[in-house]
Amino acid sequence: MDRRDFFKIAGGTILAGTSGVYAIRRLTGSIPGSTVADSPLTGKKWGMVIDLSKCVEDCTACLDACRYENNVAFHQDERWDVHWIRKIRLESKIGTTSTEKSVILLCNHCEKPPCAQVCPVQATYKREDGIVVVDHHRCIGCRYCMIACPYNARYFNFKDKEDWSNTDRPKRSHGVAEACNLCAHRIDLGELPACVEACSNVGEGAIMVGDMNDSGSEVAKIIMAEAVKRLKEDLGTEPKVYYLGL
Amino acid sequence: MRSKDILNNKPSAAVAAIPITIILLPVLYSIFTFAFAQEKKGTEQFLEMPDAVYTKCVRDTEYMRHNHWVLLRVVREDVVRYGKRGEISLKRCGECHTSREKFCKKCHDAVSMKPDCYGCHYYP
Amino acid sequence: MEIKFESLDGSSFEYRVMMIIFAFFSVVGLLATWWVIEKGIWVTGMYTRVPWGLQIVMAVYYIGLSAGSLVISGLYGVFGKAEYKPFARIAVYVAMLFLIAGLLSILTDQGRMDRVFVEPFVHFNLQSMFSINPILYIGHILICIVYLWALFCEKKTLTKVIATLAFGWAFCVHSGTGAIFGFGARVLYESPLLPASFVAAAMASGTALMILLIVTLFKITKRHLDDELIIWLGRFLAICVLVVVYFLAVENAYRAYVVELRHAAVYYLFGGIHSLLFWIGLIFIGCIIPMFILFRKKTGKSIRWIVLASSLVIFGVLCERYVIVIPGLTNPPELFPGMEITFSAIQEGFASYTISFLEVLQAVGVFGIIGFLFGLGLKLFKLLPTEARILDPNI
Repeated sequence: MDRRDFFKIAGGTILAGTSGVYAIRRLTGSIPGSTVADSPLTGKKWGMVIDLSKCVEDCTACLDACRYENNVAFHQDERWDVHWIRKIRLESKIGTTSTEKSVILLCNHCEKPPCAQVCPVQATYKREDGIVVVDHHRCIGCRYCMIACPYNARYFNFKDKEDWSNTDRPKRSHGVAEACNLCAHRIDLGELPACVEACSNVGEGAIMVGDMNDSGSEVAKIIMAEAVKRLKEDLGTEPKVYYLGL
Repeated sequence: MRSKDILNNKPSAAVAAIPITIILLPVLYSIFTFAFAQEKKGTEQFLEMPDAVYTKCVRDTEYMRHNHWVLLRVVREDVVRYGKRGEISLKRCGECHTSREKFCKKCHDAVSMKPDCYGCHYYP
Repeated sequence: MEIKFESLDGSSFEYRVMMIIFAFFSVVGLLATWWVIEKGIWVTGMYTRVPWGLQIVMAVYYIGLSAGSLVISGLYGVFGKAEYKPFARIAVYVAMLFLIAGLLSILTDQGRMDRVFVEPFVHFNLQSMFSINPILYIGHILICIVYLWALFCEKKTLTKVIATLAFGWAFCVHSGTGAIFGFGARVLYESPLLPASFVAAAMASGTALMILLIVTLFKITKRHLDDELIIWLGRFLAICVLVVVYFLAVENAYRAYVVELRHAAVYYLFGGIHSLLFWIGLIFIGCIIPMFILFRKKTGKSIRWIVLASSLVIFGVLCERYVIVIPGLTNPPELFPGMEITFSAIQEGFASYTISFLEVLQAVGVFGIIGFLFGLGLKLFKLLPTEARILDPNI
């Protein structure tokens, strides 16, 4: 066998091998059963309304509940903390008068999410019911979604954490991106997200979550009747988190 | 293609052996560990008898032995991406197979498989 | 006239020292990368507000150098300039190496490197620029390999075909890299001009790199090199730099003119360390001085001055990559126009970013790896011509 034949055989083997592996991965990846068609989520569209007039300034019930429920990594360092939901204080000035209010910020679960568009592995994904979830099993940690999100609502697990609060829910390894998933595990079981529950228990029920396709739901009624606002509507991302009194 | 068009001085056999060994090392390693593990013990001994909370598993033993990863992957996709939270979950495996050390790790260590499920999930 | 190629003997003291230094660099880089994988990305100093750092800057820079070098090889392959045939092989080889360097830089930046080789290809997302680009990169490497083979075997028609393909592909590759940023949602990224401006910068930096590389290599190995060849490349470099300046001017003029982007333009041009890099590193050192040197009759014909100008351009383009990637991240998106955030759990407003030691080590490692491969290629393959002369037009 001369060099030429060797190259032919070697090249052919490598090509066949890699394409074979690729084909197997492809085939096993598309397993029957995992289709959108028979998903129980179709027909629903979850939305959130935040009534800022009911939001108490020093209350952190929703933040704590979220952190506990979802094992959100909190290192007490503002550079690497992960916040699925966070609270800021806003000062608006008109002329010489100024008013202050607290605003809750979280993933807006956009109808056209830029983060899901740019994800190279489809790990960030909009479910049939409109919730934007991150599939941590797939995420390669490229952080392009953090670049693409116009709301600064996405976070990355830069650091490992030792102690996790909730042993019922998965913890996190470092190197994956994440954001609020509207407590999809609770919504699927017919419960309300942790922040909503905490807010109605401790606070005054400022956060509401409901099906926007169901015209009887509280959320749909408020969105139809009241003067609701969304963040950066001009971008055309169509957020599904509505603010009352922003 | 004549070799002297590209290469001036042919690399010696010793030089060529180094990259080939480096490339083949992981493959050979896994082949050897796999072969010897099989020979020493046989697959049966890896399984611990489960505590009998339930009488049988979600699929028959033969299927589970070879295709448990397929099943877990289908369930994973279903739950995370399509919201179908059904009977099967990683957490419920632990109701019978109580010890991860004895149940998962024995086989996986023997065949050098290191799935990263438990980087995030708790084994009950 | 037949041009003969040969490989280096590789037994000289300098060659061995160079290879040992490169090998040391790569080991250092590998160790740094291992540390980052083990501990998490926070050790590199990146954080929530600035999730991309030096590695992405270097990746974009390397890919630019790669695309630019391929254009130089196209002088012979596409435009039939036979006097540039001596440089064709080395240009393609360097193009391939720098693309590998770019891919390595991106790879070492990922949070989960173990998944990079599987997931992007299994779950391909056609809408994502990050998903389209790997296809372009892999195609680029394959084309480079075929191109090299065609050049080594002196296949005339194949060279012509593959050179044309490679020329077009190099444009696509770098436009695609520009589109990662240009099609994004950040104020300082979003610009349809960015892909074109990236290509211009790539041609400038690639030409400068080839001038530097060729002159140094020929000088060290004591080969004959006709000055006219380098002088012509110098003139080409000057035009490329002019185009870069033009694109920069248009982009910044647009941002300064449109009212809603004006604050971003002010931040970009006069807002911190990156503005210093922009004005001094890119505009002054990277563009004005080289253009002055290259367009001036006296200095534009001297090899030393051209080499100086090339090194300045290479540095200037590195600064350009930095001032594209970093300020776009540190400039915050304006969520509440007309209102002020007085308290927040994360950093609001303009973020700061400093290059950390580990990132430098990682970048040095990538450079070491391709340096080592370059040295190895010089020794193994017939890359260098015995001499480079201007062909007699009468023959």
